[in-house]
Amino acid sequence: MRTTGLATPADQHRVSSRLRNLALIIGLALYTMYAAGPFAWVALMSLRTTTEIAADPYALPWPMHWDKFLSAWVDSNYDVYFLNSVTIVLSAVAILTVVGGMAAHCFARYTFRFKGLLYFLIFSTIIFPPQVTVIGLFQILVEYGLFNNRLGLVLVYVSIQMPITIYILEAFFARIPNDLFDAARMDGYSEWEIFWKISFPVALPAISTTIILNTILLWNEFLYAVVLISDDDKRTLPLGVLRFMGDQLEDVGMLATGLMIAIVPVVLIYIFFSERLIQGMTAGAVK
Amino acid sequence: MSAVDMPDKKAQGTKLRAKALKVRDHANPASAIATFLLPALLIYAALTALPVFRTFYNSTHLVVPNRAAEWVGFTHYIDLWTDRIFWKAVGNTLTWAAAAPLLEVSIATILALALYAKVPFARFLRVAWFTPVLMSYVVVGILWMWIYNFEWGALNTFLRFVGLGDLAQAWLAQPDTALPSLIAVTTWMWTGFNMVVILAAMSSLPSEVLEAAELDNCGWFAKLWFVILPLIRPTLLNLIVLSFIGKMKIFDLVWVTTQGNPLWATETVSTYVYKRAFQWNTFDLGYPSAIAVIWFVIVMIGVLSLTFLFKQSDKVEY
Repeated sequence: MRTTGLATPADQHRVSSRLRNLALIIGLALYTMYAAGPFAWVALMSLRTTTEIAADPYALPWPMHWDKFLSAWVDSNYDVYFLNSVTIVLSAVAILTVVGGMAAHCFARYTFRFKGLLYFLIFSTIIFPPQVTVIGLFQILVEYGLFNNRLGLVLVYVSIQMPITIYILEAFFARIPNDLFDAARMDGYSEWEIFWKISFPVALPAISTTIILNTILLWNEFLYAVVLISDDDKRTLPLGVLRFMGDQLEDVGMLATGLMIAIVPVVLIYIFFSERLIQGMTAGAVK
Repeated sequence: MSAVDMPDKKAQGTKLRAKALKVRDHANPASAIATFLLPALLIYAALTALPVFRTFYNSTHLVVPNRAAEWVGFTHYIDLWTDRIFWKAVGNTLTWAAAAPLLEVSIATILALALYAKVPFARFLRVAWFTPVLMSYVVVGILWMWIYNFEWGALNTFLRFVGLGDLAQAWLAQPDTALPSLIAVTTWMWTGFNMVVILAAMSSLPSEVLEAAELDNCGWFAKLWFVILPLIRPTLLNLIVLSFIGKMKIFDLVWVTTQGNPLWATETVSTYVYKRAFQWNTFDLGYPSAIAVIWFVIVMIGVLSLTFLFKQSDKVEY
């Protein structure tokens, strides 16, 4: 009975669903190109010299110039920027974890006067636009001699990440059963020991989430760094990269290498701790 | 009446206080609470609350280096009213804050659905889509300046390759394409993040509901429209608010790529505050503080009204 290929309704249905699948696959492929293409491109360019890139910006890196990483590191002050970023970010994250953990433990464990108000005050700063603090911060840090000072930047970083840290940790601490604390109290633990020996170890998953989240956000931070740091040897990596761009606008190959140095640590953290990181980043979005 | 009540209340008050003094609250020891809270509160007071007050104070003063701040009343606010660059910046930022959440959340929903329906290579795709959000805006900015480069940028090369070479242009150098180009960059960055959140919400949907929908012979689209989307609605609305807040703050990307050029086409409130405070040699911190205060109020109103709006529409539907 069959006359032409597409006559029966069943055939038409199959063809249209195939077409739909094809459209879906093309759409996803295009989006993947848009999402991952730029990163792949800069990764390829980071291994090629500017002359090679000028000849053909989209060729494969052959031969691979791994030595470019060394020369970016040594000749362009990247070692200084990298070290600054590492010290500033790690100190800020360490202080944040302890101070934020203590406050979160306090909010989760005890009842006291003005608790709701204090929590609201701290938490509401999450939605503050940074402009409203940055000018005042600049003046205050200048007055206290902490402007253009790595310690000043560390303290500012602690203050900007404090609300989200307390928010994530408080939610976790509040879920630890109270019996655990009562038992510890019976055993004669002091309040500090309860925090340090019980809350902290039990909440380690949440704590590592905040550590990873804060590390990545502060590693990439730019606004406060650009306002509060002016000496070249105190610059963090994002500032260094920008300065490098100002100096070597035409040296695309070298710049790409510089960008890769800034990206790689974050990507490594993502590869090893992706679940924790995603938990941290989504904590604010899913109430 | 009050005269009769008063002593009574007073007595009650002293009794309570005596009780509080006598019986120490063992579950809530004041000294421990103080120790745990103090460091966080000090940092908060010194580096968040104080700067905010300082900015509010600045906004009614002329703040010039090496001179005492001089009270000028609301002159800055009045000047602001006729500052055309400021209004241009407000317009740009609001455009960004309105367009970006819709783009990000809608594309992210489609992508999440694709992963939810288990397309092949889902794991790889998830990683590939998510990665942009990990990069610093500085890195992203430089990278996209290359992509938008007129001669050898990836976008123009692609357009020429598929035969649309007429469309090739200097994307960041023209007033009418600069802002949309930058919005495309934030969309590139944040869609993957939104997708991951939406996917998590979809994966935690109760399977009974979805199975019931299938038993009712519900088509794919009907299932999506009448079952999945209403159930993940709170997540979607949260993401919209989050993205809105992020775009109202946007600074880094603009600063790295265009610095507000061309012709203020990409000027945002943040970049304008920065320019007025630290770059133009006006040496006055009062005027940018006034901008910051106004913007603070606008962001608050925006966030509160979005939250209110979403709450209202929830009430209507359920």
